[in-house]
Amino acid sequence: MDIGSISLILLLALFVLLAMGMPLGFASGTLACAVLAMKFGPDLLFRDFGRGPLAVVGQAVYRQMTNYVLISVPLFIFMAALLERSGIAKAMYASLNVWLSRTRGGIAIVTSIMAVIMAAMSGIIGGEVVLLGLIALPQMLRLGYNQNLAIGTICASGSLGTMIPPSIVLIFFGLITETSIKSLFTAAFLPGFMLASFFLIYIIIRTQLRPEEAPLPEPDPNDPQPLEKSILFGAFTTIMIMGATALLLLRALIFTAIGAYVVAEDTDPIALGMVAALPYLIGILVAGALLLRFVIGPDRVRLAWQMGKGLVAPIIVIGVVLGSIYGGITGITEAAAMGVVAVFVISLVRGEMTFEVLRDSLIRTMKATGTIIWVTVGAAALAAAYTLVGGPTFVANLIVGAELPTMGVILVMMLIFLVMGMFMDWVGIVLLIMPVFMPIVMALPIEELGFVGGIDPKYVAIWFGVVFTMNMQVSFLSPPFGPAAFYLKSVAPPYISLTDIFRGFMPFIGIQLLALLVLLMWPSLVSVFL
Amino acid sequence: MSVESVWLGPMRRPMRLIMLSSTVATGLIALWLILGRLFFGTGIGLKEFLSPADTPSVLLAMIVGAIALLSASIYLSDTCGVVESKSDGFFDVVSLVCSRLAMIATVTVVLVMFYEVVSRYLFGKPTLWANELSLWIAGFVFLLAGLYAMQQRSHIRIYIIYDMMPRWLRKLSDVLSLLLIGSFAFLTVWGGFNESRDKFFRWETFGTAWDPPIPATIKPAILIIVVLVALQALSNLIADWNKEPEHHSAANDIDASEIEAIRKIVKD
Repeated sequence: MDIGSISLILLLALFVLLAMGMPLGFASGTLACAVLAMKFGPDLLFRDFGRGPLAVVGQAVYRQMTNYVLISVPLFIFMAALLERSGIAKAMYASLNVWLSRTRGGIAIVTSIMAVIMAAMSGIIGGEVVLLGLIALPQMLRLGYNQNLAIGTICASGSLGTMIPPSIVLIFFGLITETSIKSLFTAAFLPGFMLASFFLIYIIIRTQLRPEEAPLPEPDPNDPQPLEKSILFGAFTTIMIMGATALLLLRALIFTAIGAYVVAEDTDPIALGMVAALPYLIGILVAGALLLRFVIGPDRVRLAWQMGKGLVAPIIVIGVVLGSIYGGITGITEAAAMGVVAVFVISLVRGEMTFEVLRDSLIRTMKATGTIIWVTVGAAALAAAYTLVGGPTFVANLIVGAELPTMGVILVMMLIFLVMGMFMDWVGIVLLIMPVFMPIVMALPIEELGFVGGIDPKYVAIWFGVVFTMNMQVSFLSPPFGPAAFYLKSVAPPYISLTDIFRGFMPFIGIQLLALLVLLMWPSLVSVFL
Repeated sequence: MSVESVWLGPMRRPMRLIMLSSTVATGLIALWLILGRLFFGTGIGLKEFLSPADTPSVLLAMIVGAIALLSASIYLSDTCGVVESKSDGFFDVVSLVCSRLAMIATVTVVLVMFYEVVSRYLFGKPTLWANELSLWIAGFVFLLAGLYAMQQRSHIRIYIIYDMMPRWLRKLSDVLSLLLIGSFAFLTVWGGFNESRDKFFRWETFGTAWDPPIPATIKPAILIIVVLVALQALSNLIADWNKEPEHHSAANDIDASEIEAIRKIVKD
């Protein structure tokens, strides 16, 4: 059978199998076998038991099973499950709220900032929306915030986990397209923060224009005055900087002790880890201590610490995970393991770790891992079979032959992502569509990508990955099946209906599309930090 | 504290005893091996664990360790977590025991990696075995987690059209799905059997410094577990045949009891 008819049958069969509720991973696995049967005919397939073209399926599965980066998936899920059951998020909310309680729209701003911090800790989305919905939504509704503003802020910010590293979506994109995951993380940083700051700007402008949508809480007489607050914030920042410096000092001392400071010919000296950096580090520590002791005063320092200590645990977790990756200590997988250990120890110190919490987290981890990995397995088998029969080349020729303008092709892809995102999980999209789309994108003329400033050819795959995660941001919110809405619904007061929730999303979906547009027009945005 | 037993019944207490004693025994043997290596120069390291028949103490450690692992998985599978759906199919016990095995394995992966990072970064002595050991364990975690996800009915499905179907059509779809999952398992075995058998009997290793038999074990495990998953799917279909139809949404992913637990933490 020729490749055109195979592709058509494959597409139709996939729709039928998914419509009848067959698990995605097994549907694609079965279709992988079907593709081989159509290509080679049953006699070649079944001539000998135990070998033949069908061996491709088992080999594709085996490749996934021995993929070192894939191990980071269960570990990140495990870490997120442990985080959900710890009081870290609640303490962080309390700490952030202290600083911004007198600002118009303060709780909405705090929610967004908190979502960014949580996104930087784990990168799993559902739990974030649930946590924010439980912590921030009751507060906003009690104060009389506009319901749509409250809902939109929580779900839109809660979905940021896909963009801000470590992000499980980017990990999968990197695995499928064989792009450096570390580069993807770096590249997604700026667009992710751009989106988050768009949300913040929108909240600030909206609440300034319509103050009645975000009433201020009654002033607390014990609350410090604004000026005093700034001094306290300065004190807290100084404590944090001193903590970080002390850690760097410890690191430098360890390097000195184990002899890693010897500069080899072919390696760069370790930043801030050399003996030469010691005087500076000690200097910062002494200056900080003097500032706290004589300028700010011990009483204020104590108060500042009380107000801000909820932020310490998240900063440690972020430091451990992202610090391990960017400090050149470990790869993604080991960073995830370190994150699990960090969250576990923090919960233990906070007195929240029990055997039940550990078991429930592991149960959730196993369910989610089995789900995601087996979709990967099935899709890998399908991709392998489809490549064997020459599918990707066929589709690429089809698209190139249609003679659309370059940005037209990209826009059509965006449309497909957005429509698929309404009905399908991101895992399915990245695993089934990416192997087909990626070669097409790579074949497009580079100079026609974007409108402002071109992009380096070696960053095209990375750019497309970031664009893809931006699309997935929208899919978390888009009606009729945006998962964020259902997550929020499960923790919101009963009088808030699904329609209300989706109505609250509208302006935020607009902001996401705006950010997507910026990224499409100006591709070199992703390569700023690369 | 009395916990409702899922399937062990009167065997629960003896199993607990076996688990505890074999775990302690494993710990003691491991301690003895480590101390022997550190202070008496026995030279028994993880390399010897790959060919246990040559060293009696290593063989003993592996047998006792396997008993500990299995009994712990069996004992832990006897308690149903609050976030877990109840088990009622004929095959569920196997999947549950496997899931506990995978959970213990996940914790082990974390510990192995932590050990590796600490010894490489703090002591400047990277291990030779940590990467491969975690890869080896994780392979089984991935496979067993899929079996467990099948038992928990948490594999990704798209319910939009399925939920609109009349009852008889749903049942037809379910039967058809099962047949296709079964044929997927059958075809995977058909295509991969010889390769797995050869690698297992040749005891093919990974070809690295520590050289664990990853191909020799994971390749056959894939075929076995794909078949087990198909059996679990059959068991699910039988167990769910007469159940009331439920409506599905993304909210099904989040367990009410789990939310309750989070709410408790957030409230105080």
